[in-house]
Amino acid sequence: MTALTSHLKLLEAESIHIFREAASQFRTPVLLYSIGKDSTVLLHLARKAFWPAKPPFPLLHVDTTWKFHDMIAFRDRTVKELGLDLIVHTNHDGLARGMNPFDHPPSVYTDIMKTQALRQALDAGGFDAAFGGARRDEEASRAKERVFSFRAAGHRWDPRLQRPEMWQLLNGRLGKGETVRIFPLSNWTEADVWRYITLEKLDVVPLYFAAERPVVERDGQLLMVDDERMRLFPGEAPQTRKVRFRTLGCYPLTAAVESEAADLDAVVTETLEARVSERAGRLIDHDQAGAMEMKKREGYF
Amino acid sequence: MTVAALEETQSATTTVSPDARSEAMVRLLTCGSVDDGKSTLIGRLLWDAAGVTDDQRAAILHDSHNRAVNGERIDFSLLLDGLVAEREQGITIDIAWRYFETARRRFVIIDSPGHEQYTRNMATGASHADIAILLVDARHGVKRQTRRHAAICNLVGIKKVIVAVNKMDQIDWSEERYRAIEADFAALAGNFEFAEVTTIPVAALTGANVVARSEEMSWYDGPTLLQYLERVDPKVETDDAPFRLPVQLVLRASGDFRGYAGTVTSGSISVGDRVVDARSGLGATLRRIATMDGDRETASRGDAVTLVLDTDLDISRGAVLSEVKRRPVNADVLEARLVWLSEKPFDPEAGYLLRTATDLTPVTSMSVSALVDFETLASTPAHECGVNDIADCRILLGRATSLDLFQDLPLTGNFVLVNAVDGSTVAGGVIAWVQTGAAAVGENVLVLDRARLAGLCANLGNSPEDKAEFDRRAQEVAILLRSAGVPVLIETDQ
Repeated sequence: MTALTSHLKLLEAESIHIFREAASQFRTPVLLYSIGKDSTVLLHLARKAFWPAKPPFPLLHVDTTWKFHDMIAFRDRTVKELGLDLIVHTNHDGLARGMNPFDHPPSVYTDIMKTQALRQALDAGGFDAAFGGARRDEEASRAKERVFSFRAAGHRWDPRLQRPEMWQLLNGRLGKGETVRIFPLSNWTEADVWRYITLEKLDVVPLYFAAERPVVERDGQLLMVDDERMRLFPGEAPQTRKVRFRTLGCYPLTAAVESEAADLDAVVTETLEARVSERAGRLIDHDQAGAMEMKKREGYF
Repeated sequence: MTVAALEETQSATTTVSPDARSEAMVRLLTCGSVDDGKSTLIGRLLWDAAGVTDDQRAAILHDSHNRAVNGERIDFSLLLDGLVAEREQGITIDIAWRYFETARRRFVIIDSPGHEQYTRNMATGASHADIAILLVDARHGVKRQTRRHAAICNLVGIKKVIVAVNKMDQIDWSEERYRAIEADFAALAGNFEFAEVTTIPVAALTGANVVARSEEMSWYDGPTLLQYLERVDPKVETDDAPFRLPVQLVLRASGDFRGYAGTVTSGSISVGDRVVDARSGLGATLRRIATMDGDRETASRGDAVTLVLDTDLDISRGAVLSEVKRRPVNADVLEARLVWLSEKPFDPEAGYLLRTATDLTPVTSMSVSALVDFETLASTPAHECGVNDIADCRILLGRATSLDLFQDLPLTGNFVLVNAVDGSTVAGGVIAWVQTGAAAVGENVLVLDRARLAGLCANLGNSPEDKAEFDRRAQEVAILLRSAGVPVLIETDQ
């Protein structure tokens, strides 16, 4: 084991500790499963934490109906293979109002189909705690987040009043109306996630690996034409390029990168050498300054 | 070191022996007074040591122009101050976590706020660090906030401290001034249990002695900041520490599987060893160390495992499994030093709970005996304490729990104090002394249980919501009774 992978053992143990503390302290936890690489690691760690028992909580996927088709197939296969409970929630009210990623700005679409949908699902299930795969290295406001991140009534995050969190001690006692988001991968980096997936031989959505895919180039970003709903602007025609994704979400809002990395080792190497952060491919984060913090204050995980 | 050189060395595979595992990651705190340049120093370290991606670089360069607080210079603090309020006000409010790697090791950087009002966040950051960088502005020298931060670092168990004397460029790189600050800090460090104090003159804005050696300070022949960080051994601990595993939960599965899940906080254990639960005094033999990756023969500090014993000890979350000879004390009275984190001052009549490794124990009474004076660093007698104070206190518990002394075993000798009504964390503390069988409150304690509060809680059933509501009402009654001088213990039937 090399110096750059041996710390993964420490990170793994820390994450397992967090899962066990949360399962012991909250009544009705749920795991936010978004199908991507971070969720894959999150789920694997949850299984380790409670083995030989199954994780004592269901999975929740907030489906905007615009996820890549490969993601949904991977989700259903994973849940079936592992025999886990999955709750899929869509904001049908938003759908009925015609919400889609083409006619509405990313911030509005995300708020209604992701943030509001998540709040609906958490309230409907009466969940007092939700595990998420967010990492502190992703983005500046995430770098400020606690492992147990408390939310006031209405799921609001107040970054100026975060609860102190000392040593390994996680205080999960809730005040009136409070719920909590739990981030077991807080101290992992993107490179750690890929190294861990390699070491543990975990299966991930094939979109992470380079392949010939139909894309259009728009505002300097490569967008994949995942189905017939993709709207093409005049003059645009899908072309085949060898691309992969560093992060997965709604296909019209998730940019691909040109790459030759077709297997895990190549992806790890590419990640370590990357000169651009992974969220650069997320169109929803660039809408406005402090975009992520604003979404989080509203209840985005 | 250049970025290119770093990338070259990164691709080389270095083999490390298993016992070097704990050194693979160093958690580093930066603290100091307002405007000492903490965020700038760390931003500079990340910038020069390849911790910044191209799009982040572009964004920082763009934002630096907009703010232009440093003239034409890059505003490195923008790399860390990630909250909107922080950027607007140009201050750090909460800790920021950053990660970077060199060929030698992984660094976790915890950048903490300097303002006194955000000390609770600084204390949070410090408790996760192996090493602290204490920044001192070369123009101003050691300040009250430097002493407070040093005292908090000491309290939470940090053993190695780097004093970075910053803004050397502003005092013409004066060795004389630097040596005076070095001597000042060495004198105050005598109050603490630091194992190693290293002083380095730096200029975060120009990068002098951060990653690149300074040409202006040829009189300084010590390491640069990065050189020191790559070499320092973060851990100060003995190999033969006694075994402890605080039980997080009991796992049951098909067949007759019953295991105690938890993380080893000190020492090690092997299959066939005897273990005891200090609370009940019962012992058993370790039959299996179970993990999803297969059974193991031994488990040691930091391992998250599940222990299967040969006999059922009938223990649950909160118990600490330990070796037979050197056990924790099953204590119900303790003396501790704590840092008060809540805006609400200590109130002897409020209801508090003691959260230790995995246990949550009601506090029946608590008193403050002394406060640390941040001018002299001496303890002065006191009976009150408020936000940002460091206090010595005595705590009586409603029932005994397994405790160690922090100086021996930090992870079973620390605690946080929780407000029983709103759940907030009000203080973090370290145990200095424990005793069994306090019984000081004796038979006078009024026990509030379902039977006693039957009338007040007649409308409550046994649902989790109702139990929580019972707890809330009981806590409120307890506050009234304590204010009338009646010692109270709440018993929830969970």
